Amino acid sequence: MATAPRSETQSVIPALAPTRPVIWPPRAHKTLSNGLEIVLVESHTIPKFTGELFFRSGNAAVAAKAPGLADMTATVARTGTQKRTSREIEEDLRRMGADLSTGAGADTSVISFDGLVDHSNDLLALVSELAREASFPPEEFERERRQLVEGLRIERTTPSFLASERFRRVLFGSHPYGTISPTEEQAMSYGVEDLKDYYQRYYRPGNALLVMVGDFAPREMLAQIEKVFVSWPSGTADPVPDPPLPELASRKVYLVHLPGSVQTQIILGNRAITRKHPDWLRLTLANSIYGGAFNSRLVMNIREQKGYTYSPRSGAHPLRQHGYFSVGAAVRNDVVAASLTEIFYELDRMRSTPVGEEELDDARTYLTGVFSLGLATQDGLAGQLATATLERLAEDYLETYRERVLKLTSADVLDAAQKYFDTAHAQIVVVGDRAQIESQAALFGNPEVYDAQGKRI
Amino acid sequence: MVASPDRAAPVATVGVYYNIGFRIEPRGRSGFAHLFEHMMFQGSANAGKMVHIKLVNSSGGVLNGSTHYDVTNYYESVPSNALERVLWLEADRMRALKVDDENLRNQRDVVKEEVRVNVLNQPYGGFPWLDLPPIAYRNWSNAHNFYGDFDDLDAATLDDVQKFFKTYYAPANAVLLMLGDIDVDEAMRLAERHFGSVPSGPAPAPADTSEPPQIEERRGVVEEKFGTLPGVAIGYQAPRRLTPEWHAAAMLDQALHGGRAGRVYRRLVLEQQIAVDTEGGIHYPVGDLFDYNGPTLMVTRILHKPEYSVDQTLAAYDQIIDEMKEKGITAAELEPVKVKFRSNYFSMLEGGHGASIPRYGLMHLLACFSLFDSEPNLVNTILDPFMNVSPEAVQSVAQKMLTRQNRSIVIRRPVKKGAA
Repeated sequence: MATAPRSETQSVIPALAPTRPVIWPPRAHKTLSNGLEIVLVESHTIPKFTGELFFRSGNAAVAAKAPGLADMTATVARTGTQKRTSREIEEDLRRMGADLSTGAGADTSVISFDGLVDHSNDLLALVSELAREASFPPEEFERERRQLVEGLRIERTTPSFLASERFRRVLFGSHPYGTISPTEEQAMSYGVEDLKDYYQRYYRPGNALLVMVGDFAPREMLAQIEKVFVSWPSGTADPVPDPPLPELASRKVYLVHLPGSVQTQIILGNRAITRKHPDWLRLTLANSIYGGAFNSRLVMNIREQKGYTYSPRSGAHPLRQHGYFSVGAAVRNDVVAASLTEIFYELDRMRSTPVGEEELDDARTYLTGVFSLGLATQDGLAGQLATATLERLAEDYLETYRERVLKLTSADVLDAAQKYFDTAHAQIVVVGDRAQIESQAALFGNPEVYDAQGKRI
Repeated sequence: MVASPDRAAPVATVGVYYNIGFRIEPRGRSGFAHLFEHMMFQGSANAGKMVHIKLVNSSGGVLNGSTHYDVTNYYESVPSNALERVLWLEADRMRALKVDDENLRNQRDVVKEEVRVNVLNQPYGGFPWLDLPPIAYRNWSNAHNFYGDFDDLDAATLDDVQKFFKTYYAPANAVLLMLGDIDVDEAMRLAERHFGSVPSGPAPAPADTSEPPQIEERRGVVEEKFGTLPGVAIGYQAPRRLTPEWHAAAMLDQALHGGRAGRVYRRLVLEQQIAVDTEGGIHYPVGDLFDYNGPTLMVTRILHKPEYSVDQTLAAYDQIIDEMKEKGITAAELEPVKVKFRSNYFSMLEGGHGASIPRYGLMHLLACFSLFDSEPNLVNTILDPFMNVSPEAVQSVAQKMLTRQNRSIVIRRPVKKGAA
């Protein structure tokens, strides 16, 4: 390579070198006779492994009975088994150098774990126990429930929680996706029998997926796993209900009054699509250009030009049955109307004017690059594999992701923006001190006002 | 320059660390080191406002910076074909900052919203990382508001920005790190090419961050505007880094604060059920065992049930502490503590605090060992002295460190009543 003169070295942006290919590590994918699906990938970055045992049912499966019940079930499941007390579980984990957590979202319940490879057999045995022989000790249940209730009270003082709660209720109404957290009363109505019932019905091998990534040989690890899990009696779970969604006839504003707020949390958007929808990648790319990256239009406008906010972002959020698109920003109280104006201006610009070649190319490269970054760690790899397998995406979904992104056009972006950045029907939630922001919010529609407990005022 | 190759995935992480954090920012300019970090994204000699961000994102990468007690970092993770571009960008902003009053006004506004979203408008915002220093320390460097009083942020001028840059951002005060999919010789050559022409300047004189000896327990109360549970945090002055006491204190910390098996969580949350949550650590919560170079605390953070008083909560906590001092720790308890410590260390190498930045943790360790200890290779040997800590050493450091006169306590008192 010729040496450039010093001044040129300083002033000319270096070109990109040729890309190096992503080499996919060997992967094993198998379903045991009892229905347990297993995906394994080796990654030798550190002498550890990480894993997730998923069940394809979460809070949405039992929302009609009790919101948050799946999460509570997962929480208490790690506090005792037929063979070990809560204290023994925690001390055994420490002995293996392991971390373990349990929880449930709308669509899945999960036991997540990582540990040193030398102890993989012991850790798998413990995970298996938690999945099959949890004992739900009543005193552990009472303790966890009290902790949950105190946590719920603190959530109700957190602006971002209150904004998401109202937004999801507006978009999804009485559908399970419309409730992101139980009320105190609902949490108090759980009984330990409800947890056991959930556990019996949904913690079944035919409803489960085990993903593991780490410093092991997949073939040997598969043999280890089979030994531990093969005796799990087969069983599947009931399908999850999908009740009708509310009609969102026009743009509407909701204000959650949080007295004393020194900032306003904005969230707005519409229902959108799941990852399986043919438009998914188009929407992902449009979102990236609009507000999904640091150099996106939204961030440039309301942060870097106007200084209204610290971390504005937009996102396309896929759930299993439906999805939604949202724009969020925590802004200064006196610029709520100005921020909404800019947010909508940038959305409408995406809908009306095709994106130029350079911006399009930058965004495609960004998405493919970030995808590669996500494969460079054990956690990142496990996350990508889990998403693709849980949602039953095409077998080569990950391998072909980058080439599919690189084929997208300006017309694809315009099409996605017109369909999913639906400003005329946008649902707008603002959380803050009513006295300071109501008149600004009212410029965008007559606000429905709620208190932090969710009561209309 | 420090390089650490691993060519399994075609991505590289690059960082530049400057040996300046918020601890020694100028008096009357609280929050300035962090505000300055924002200014480093506003334009440099040959790359104007937004060019840094655009060039990294459009190369398929991500970037950020963060201000710590004793270092400030700027880093990028990119597909490895963008390595030279990233080195060029970092060299360019080490060479000269090109910013104006409009940039400063803009980022001052952004930083104020950052402080609001993270502290002023959040339940338990700043508890205890902003609460404890003014109570625990007497030297302004250690004791001031690191995120910044708004008056001080308003008072900052462009002149302050350039002066700070000239004083602390000289090449002699920095380390460059290149990790991942790199050829070491090639990477060193590229780094030389772009950083070699950055004008040298003197490294700043070391600042005085020393504290007078603490002779009595210190206490303070902070109002909790949003949350419903009372909070209490206890901080003990911790030993100097790389000393035998520090190694033992790290094992003591893991025994006390290591997750649900740690003594504090087990006793206060699981058994006595006085607390709803406890966490803690050395240099917790905005740092870790390795990334400080001056006085710090081993902190325990407790949110407790409203039906228990602060005194009752502290009495239960003190029982745990007194037991550790009186009876120490058995080899049977210390052994798994070490296993867990080692396992945590490996996880830190790979991910650390920046989940989307492969090898952020390894980069962070290499940088701190380079700047503070002049020995990046510690990353390979640092585990040994921890693994050799004896039960007696843990008890001995507990007796020395966990005294009333060596600690500070802050109470977060809720304004609202949340009790059932």
